[in-house]
Amino acid sequence: MKDNDADSRRRRYRELLHNITMDKDDGSQPEKLAQDADSSILPAGFVDKGADDSTGDSAATFKQPPPERPETIRTRLWVLISAWMIAIFLGLPLWHATTTIYRAPLPMQEMQNWSEGKLCKTEFPLLVEVEAPSLPDAENLLKTVQHALDDANDFAAHKPHHLRLRLAARKAVSGKDENVACLLRLIPDSQNGYNHIVQSSSRIVDIHYPPPSSSSQSSVSAGLSKFVAETLEVLFRQEQELIEYLLLPQTSNPGSLNALSSQSADEGRDKKAPSKPRAATADINRRMSRVVKYSSSYHITFSLFTATALPASWDIESAISQYLTPLLSALSPISNFTISTQVQYYASISSGVTPTYDGTSQSWTLKKEDLSSFINSAEWPLASISNDPNLNFILYIPHPSISPLTIPSASHSNSFLLPQWGGVTILNLDHSASHLDHLSNPTLKPVLETFATHLLALLGAPPHPASLPIRLDSLTRQRSAEVLVSASSTLGSLQRLVNALPSISIPTTVSDSVQDSIRHLSLACEELRKGSFVKALQMGRVAQEEAEKAFFERTMVAQVYFPDEHKLAVYLPLLGPVSVPLVLGVLREVKRFMEERKKARGQSA
Amino acid sequence: MTPFPSRSHQWLSSSPLDIFTFLLLLLLTVFGNTVVADTYKEKLDLQPLPGQFLLASFNFQSHGPIEAFNKQMFQLFPRSLGQILQYTHTRELHLRFALGRWDSELWGAQPGNGQNAGGTGVETWAWVEADNEAEAEARWTALNNALSGLFCASLNFIDSTRTIRPVMSFKPTGDYSKKDKSRLFLLHGSLPKEPVCTENLTPFLKLLPCKGKSGISTLLDGHKLFDASFQSMSIDVRPICSPHTETCDIEIQQTIDMVLDISRSLQRKDSPVPRPRDQHELICDTSKPYASNEYCYPMDNSVDLPWSLSDLFGRTISGGCPLAINPPEKGDEAPHVCIHAPEKKLKTMQTLELAAPATSQGVQPDLNCYVLKENVPFDISFSKQQPPISPLRQEPLLYAERSFTGHGQEHGGVKTVLRNPDPVDSIGVVYLESLPWFMKPYLHTFKARVLSASDVREEDVILDLYYRPALDRKRGTQLEAKLIVPPNSVVILTYDFEKAVLRYTEYPPDANRGFDVASAIITIPAQRRNSNGGKIPATSIRTTSLLLSLPTPDFSMPYNVIIFTSTIMALAFGSIFNLLVRRFVAVDEVQRVDLKGKVRGLLGRLRKGKTE
Repeated sequence: MKDNDADSRRRRYRELLHNITMDKDDGSQPEKLAQDADSSILPAGFVDKGADDSTGDSAATFKQPPPERPETIRTRLWVLISAWMIAIFLGLPLWHATTTIYRAPLPMQEMQNWSEGKLCKTEFPLLVEVEAPSLPDAENLLKTVQHALDDANDFAAHKPHHLRLRLAARKAVSGKDENVACLLRLIPDSQNGYNHIVQSSSRIVDIHYPPPSSSSQSSVSAGLSKFVAETLEVLFRQEQELIEYLLLPQTSNPGSLNALSSQSADEGRDKKAPSKPRAATADINRRMSRVVKYSSSYHITFSLFTATALPASWDIESAISQYLTPLLSALSPISNFTISTQVQYYASISSGVTPTYDGTSQSWTLKKEDLSSFINSAEWPLASISNDPNLNFILYIPHPSISPLTIPSASHSNSFLLPQWGGVTILNLDHSASHLDHLSNPTLKPVLETFATHLLALLGAPPHPASLPIRLDSLTRQRSAEVLVSASSTLGSLQRLVNALPSISIPTTVSDSVQDSIRHLSLACEELRKGSFVKALQMGRVAQEEAEKAFFERTMVAQVYFPDEHKLAVYLPLLGPVSVPLVLGVLREVKRFMEERKKARGQSA
Repeated sequence: MTPFPSRSHQWLSSSPLDIFTFLLLLLLTVFGNTVVADTYKEKLDLQPLPGQFLLASFNFQSHGPIEAFNKQMFQLFPRSLGQILQYTHTRELHLRFALGRWDSELWGAQPGNGQNAGGTGVETWAWVEADNEAEAEARWTALNNALSGLFCASLNFIDSTRTIRPVMSFKPTGDYSKKDKSRLFLLHGSLPKEPVCTENLTPFLKLLPCKGKSGISTLLDGHKLFDASFQSMSIDVRPICSPHTETCDIEIQQTIDMVLDISRSLQRKDSPVPRPRDQHELICDTSKPYASNEYCYPMDNSVDLPWSLSDLFGRTISGGCPLAINPPEKGDEAPHVCIHAPEKKLKTMQTLELAAPATSQGVQPDLNCYVLKENVPFDISFSKQQPPISPLRQEPLLYAERSFTGHGQEHGGVKTVLRNPDPVDSIGVVYLESLPWFMKPYLHTFKARVLSASDVREEDVILDLYYRPALDRKRGTQLEAKLIVPPNSVVILTYDFEKAVLRYTEYPPDANRGFDVASAIITIPAQRRNSNGGKIPATSIRTTSLLLSLPTPDFSMPYNVIIFTSTIMALAFGSIFNLLVRRFVAVDEVQRVDLKGKVRGLLGRLRKGKTE
C-alpha cells in the first residue's frame, strides 16, 4: 500500500517536471529518453533510499541535459581565454610593476674595470731641474743621467715614477706653472768628494763633486752622472716603494678585490719584487697602518688632561700659532685643519692600566701593552661633532702620586702615537716648582714639536728626505694614489654588492654619483699624467666622495629584508580565490574536450 | 690693581714661595698676552621643607671670555657642548630635565622662582642665529640631534610637531646687540614622556670642571638623585656682556634641584628594601579613642628626624673643588654650602673637620654658610628636634593645576585652575600651551571664569591671545594667552578639543597607555605690585603633564583589511566569471555525482582488502 502510494506520487512529480522542461526546451525531447536516462544513471543494484522517502525527493529522477549549442560553447571558450589573457597580460605585469624594486642602470663593466685598475695606468712624471753653472757640458751629463734612469725604469717593469731631467733656465721665471719636483745644484767641491745635501725648507738639493782636473774630463763626467742618478734614486726610492705598495692591490689582483686578503697581497708583492727586502715592506706596512684615512679637512683637538686640578690653564693658543701654524699652512694644499683645545681636570687613566714603580730610576713605568688602552674613552670627552676626521693630541699630566710617569720607549720624549687616532705626551711636572697652575709657552714647545711629528706620521708624510717641501710633494702624490685606489675599489665593491643582492633597490642618486665618480677618476688620471698632482688630488677626492656616497646610500639598505615570500603571503588571499575558478574552468573545458574526442572516436570506430 | 686670574692658589698658601709666585703672576698679568682665565663658582643650598623634606639646590656656574669660545679654545666651558653650540649657531640654550611634581601646596614657592625647573620629561628652548626660518629650523634639528647624543636623551624626537615658537612667554636672558637680536630665532620643544634617569646625570656631571670628583658635586649619585620626590636638572648657556668694558663672556650655569624625603632616605640607609617600621619606632597618636598597645595611629612630622649629609646622600663632600676656591689674596670667600636652619640645630661632626664658616651671614638670621677647603671632607649634621621647627614656607605667587574633563573617545576638555593667593594685588601672567597635532582644540570654547569676591568681569581676564593652529603631522597647536588673575581669586580656563584618529604606523608600541601632553608653562613677567610698589620677580610655573588617551585601533587591522578586500574582489570576480562560464540546466538535468556510492564502494574495497 505504502509503496504504491509513493510510486504514484513520484509519477506525478515526473509529469510536473516534464511539463517544465517541455516549456524550456522546445519539447522535442521524448519522455522515453528521460526514463532511459533514469535507469542508466543509477547503478543496477542501487535502491535510492531518498527516493523512497515520504518527503518525495525530485532529484531521484534525472534527465540528460540537452546538448549545448556550438555558439554557447564558443562564447564560453572566448570568456575563458579572455579572462586568462587579462590575468596574464594585464594582471601579472601590473602586479610586477607595482611591487618591483627600482634599480637604476649602473655602468657595471666600467666599474669593474676601474676596480681592476685597467682604465688608468697610474704614472707620476717628475720634473727635476739641474743647475750646473760651472759644468761645461751639462747637456751631455743630463743625457747620460736620463739614460741611466730610463734603463733602471725599464728593468723594473711597474715603476710608476718617470723622472725627467731638464736644465734649469737661467732666469728663474719659469717653473712656476710647471711643478718642479726638485732642483739639483751641482757645485764643485774639492774637499769632500761626492756627497749631497738636502735643504730642509726648500726643494733644492746640493750635489758636491770634486772639480774636474783637465786631464780626465770624461771620467769625472761619468762619475758625476752615476752619482746624480744614485742621488735621485735615493731621494725618491721611499716614495716609490710606498706608491707601489698602494697600487699593488690594483695591478696584481685582476680578479675580485674582495679576495684581497693581506695574505694574497703579500704573495703578490713577493712575486713582483723578489729582490726587495722584506724589512722595507714591513716598514711600509707599519707606516701605512698608522695613517688616517684621507680627507680634505681634519679637525685637530689638543687636550690637556690632568689627574688633579693643576695645571689649570695653558698657553696653547700662542703655542699653536708659534709652533704649529707654519706646518699646517704648508700642509694646506693637501688638507685643511680646524683646531679646538680643551682642558679637563680630574682625568684618571683607565682603571685597567696600572703603572709599576721602578726603584732604580725612581719613576713609574707603564707597560707597553697598556699604552693601547691608556685612553680612558669612557670618561674622557674626546668625541667631536665635526664631520671631518678627528685627530686627538693629548697632553697628560699624571697624579703626583705616580709621578714621574714614563713609558718604555727609546726616545726621551715620553710620548707615543696611537695609529689613526692621534698622539699622547706624558708631561711630568716638578711638583715642588712654583708656577704649577699654568703651563707656559716655553714648556709647551717640546710637546707641540712632538705633536707635529705625530701629525706628519698620521698624515702619512714619508720620513725622508730631510726637505719638507719634497716630503709634502711626495705626500700629495701618495695621497692621490691612495684616493684613486680607494675610489675605484669602492666602485668595485658597489658593483659586486649590486650583483650579489638582486633585491636591493638602486635609486637614481646612486647612478648619478657613480657616473660622477667615474668622470672624476678619469680626470684625475689625466691630471696625474700631466704631472699636476694637486689637481689630481682634488679630482680624486671628489671621485672618492661620490663613490662613497653611492656606496653608503641609505635607501639601498632598507629594502634588503623584504623577502618575496612576504609579498606572496600578502597577496595570497586575493590570488587564491581568483585563480580557483579560472583553473577549474580550464579543467572543465579540457574534460569536455576529451570526452567529445572520445565520443567522436567511438562514433567513427 | 690688575685683574687676577682667579684660580686656586690654596695649596700654595703654606709655601714660602707664596710671595714669589704672587710677584711672578703679577708680572705675567702686567706683561701682555696672558690668560684671562675662566672663573668657576659652585654652591649648594640646603633648605628644609615642611613635611620632613629637604630641598638641595646645586648650582655650578662658569664664565669665560667669548673670544676663546668662538676660537674653540675651551678651558672650563665643556668642549663637547661648546662645539655643538658653535656648529649649530646657537647663541643661548636652555635645557631642562625634570622628574616628579613640585608640591607647591606643601612646599611653597619653587627655588629660583621656578626659572631652573622644567616640565616633566625634557624641555629645551634656544635662540638660534639664522638668516631665515628654514635655516633656523635646520639648525634647531641639528642642535637637538647633537644634544640627544651628548645627554643620552631622545631629544632627536623633537621634530616640527613638537616645536613651537613662543611669542610672549620667553625673553632672552643673555645680552645681544640690536643687530644680532634681529637674526635670533626662538624655538622651543618638549618631550613629556622622556624618563629622566642616571644616563642623563652622567653626561651632566661630565660637563662640570670637577666632574663629581671633588666639590659639592661629589654628593650627586644617580641612586639618590632619582629616588627624590622631585628633581630637576638644568643647563643654561648665555652670553653676558659688561657695558663698561665692552667685553663679552659666555656663561654656563648648571643646576640640580632635588627634594629629598628625609624619612625615606634614612630608611634606605638602614635597609635597601623598604619594609614597615617596627612597632617601637612608631610614634602613636594617643589622642585617638582607639589608641592602645595594639592599635596605633602613626603620627607624622611629630619630630624632626636627625640627619646628616652622609646619611641622605650616602657620602660626604670630599673637599672643595680647587677651581671654585678663591685665592686667599682676593679676600672675599664665596661660601660653597649654605643651610637655612637655626645654628642651634646644627652639630659638628667630631671626626670630620668643619669648613670655615663664612663671615658674611648677617642678612638672614637662620642662614649658615661654609667655605670648603681642598681635600678636607665636609659633612653637616642636623640634630633631632622635638617639637619640630616648622621651616619657613614661602607663599608662591600663583597656584596652577591642569586636568582633563569630558569623556569618550571623540571629544574632551582641558581645565586649568589658576589661583592668586595674594589678598591685594592682581597678577599678570602668560599662559602657554603646546599641544600635539592630534589634540585639536576649539578656540571658540576657550573661556575664562573667575571665582572671586570682587566683581571682575570675565572678559577682562584674557588680555591677549596668540594662537597658531595645528597642521596635521606638521606642527602642533600653540596657544598663548595673556591673563590677569585678580587678587584672592581663582581663574578657571577651559576649552574643548577633538581627538584625531592616527594612522596605523603613528601609534607607539604601548598605544593604550596614552599620549603625553606637555606641561603648560605659566610665566609671570617681572612687574611691580600695585599696592606697595614692591617688585614681583620674573617667575615661571609649570603644570603637570597630562595623559591623553586616543581611540586605538585593533592592530591586526591592515591584515584584516587586506583579507577582507581580497575576499570581496575574489567573490565578485568569481561569481561574474561563473555566470559567464557555467551552463544552466534544470534541476533534474544535473549530473549528480554519487558521493554515497563512491564512499560505499571505497569502504567495501577496503574491507575486502582487510579480510584478504
